[in-house]
Amino acid sequence: MEQSTRFLILSLEGEHYAFRITSLLEITVPRGIQKDAKLSEIFEGKMNHRNKMIPVVNLKKILKLSGPPGAVLLVMQSSKGILGLLADSVIELLDSTQKPFPMPPGVVDPSLPYFAGVLKDKQGLVLLLSEDGLWP
Amino acid sequence: MTNSYLLFRLAERLFGVRLQGAIEILPWRPSRKVPLAYSYIDGIMDYRGAVYPVFNLTQVLGITRTGQIGFASAETDDIRKGQSIILLQTGKNLYGIIVDSVVKMISLDDAPGEVTTVKGINTNLITGVRNEDGQDVILLSFERLFHAG
Repeated sequence: MEQSTRFLILSLEGEHYAFRITSLLEITVPRGIQKDAKLSEIFEGKMNHRNKMIPVVNLKKILKLSGPPGAVLLVMQSSKGILGLLADSVIELLDSTQKPFPMPPGVVDPSLPYFAGVLKDKQGLVLLLSEDGLWP
Repeated sequence: MTNSYLLFRLAERLFGVRLQGAIEILPWRPSRKVPLAYSYIDGIMDYRGAVYPVFNLTQVLGITRTGQIGFASAETDDIRKGQSIILLQTGKNLYGIIVDSVVKMISLDDAPGEVTTVKGINTNLITGVRNEDGQDVILLSFERLFHAG
C-alpha cells in the first residue's frame, strides 16, 4: 500500500499554499505580537508561545503579496527553530500518496529557498512551501 | 535534414518553433500564479499529470502590442480569451507558450537561416528568419529560458 503524506493547505490572497503537517506544531490566533525594530521588515515581531518568545513572519511580505498580514498564526518547527507564520486562513488537511512535483525549471530563480514543490488539490495546483527556506 | 515546425501568430507577426516531442494546443486558460516568478512567467498549469510553466511570449520577446490609436496596449482578458496555449517539449523540459493563434505545421530544413535582428523584438531567442509563402517567419528556441537565473 502506498504511504500517504499529510499537508496543511492554507490560503494567502485567495491562492492555496501548503506545508508538510510534520512541521506544524500549532494553529492559533496571533496575539500580543511585540514589534522589534531590530528585526527585518518581513517580521511582524515576536510573540510569547508557551513561555518562549518566537519570531513571527508575515508570509505575504516574503512572497511579495499584497494585503494585510493574515489572521491565523501557524507555529512551525523548522530545522532552524520554532517560527510563527501568518496566513489568511487554513483550508484543509490534504492526504496525498503522490510525491510533490518539483517546481518546473525557468519559473523562479533557482536560488530562492521558499518553494519545496507543487501539489494538486481539488481546486488546482498548490505551492508547497519550505519551512526551512522561509526562516530568514 | 528537415524538422517539423509549428507556426503561430503573436502581435501580428509570424513565428515558428521546432517541434521536439509531444505537442498539445489548448484554448487559453488562467494559470496558477507563482509569487516571485520571472516577469515573463504567466504561471504554472497542470495538464495530464504534469506541471508546465507557461511563458507569456509578448513579455519574453519584449513585444509591445499597439492599441487603437497607436498607444501601447495591455494584454486584456478579451485578448487572452481568444488566445491559445501551446504545450511543447525541449529536451526534458515541458512548457507552455501563449500565442494569439496557431497557423500551421510545416517542415523546414535545418540549414541555418538568416539570423538577423528583428525590430521591436528581444533577439535572445531568435535562431533565424525564413521566408515562407512571401511572409517572414521568425524562428525561436526557448532553451535559454530554462537556464535563467
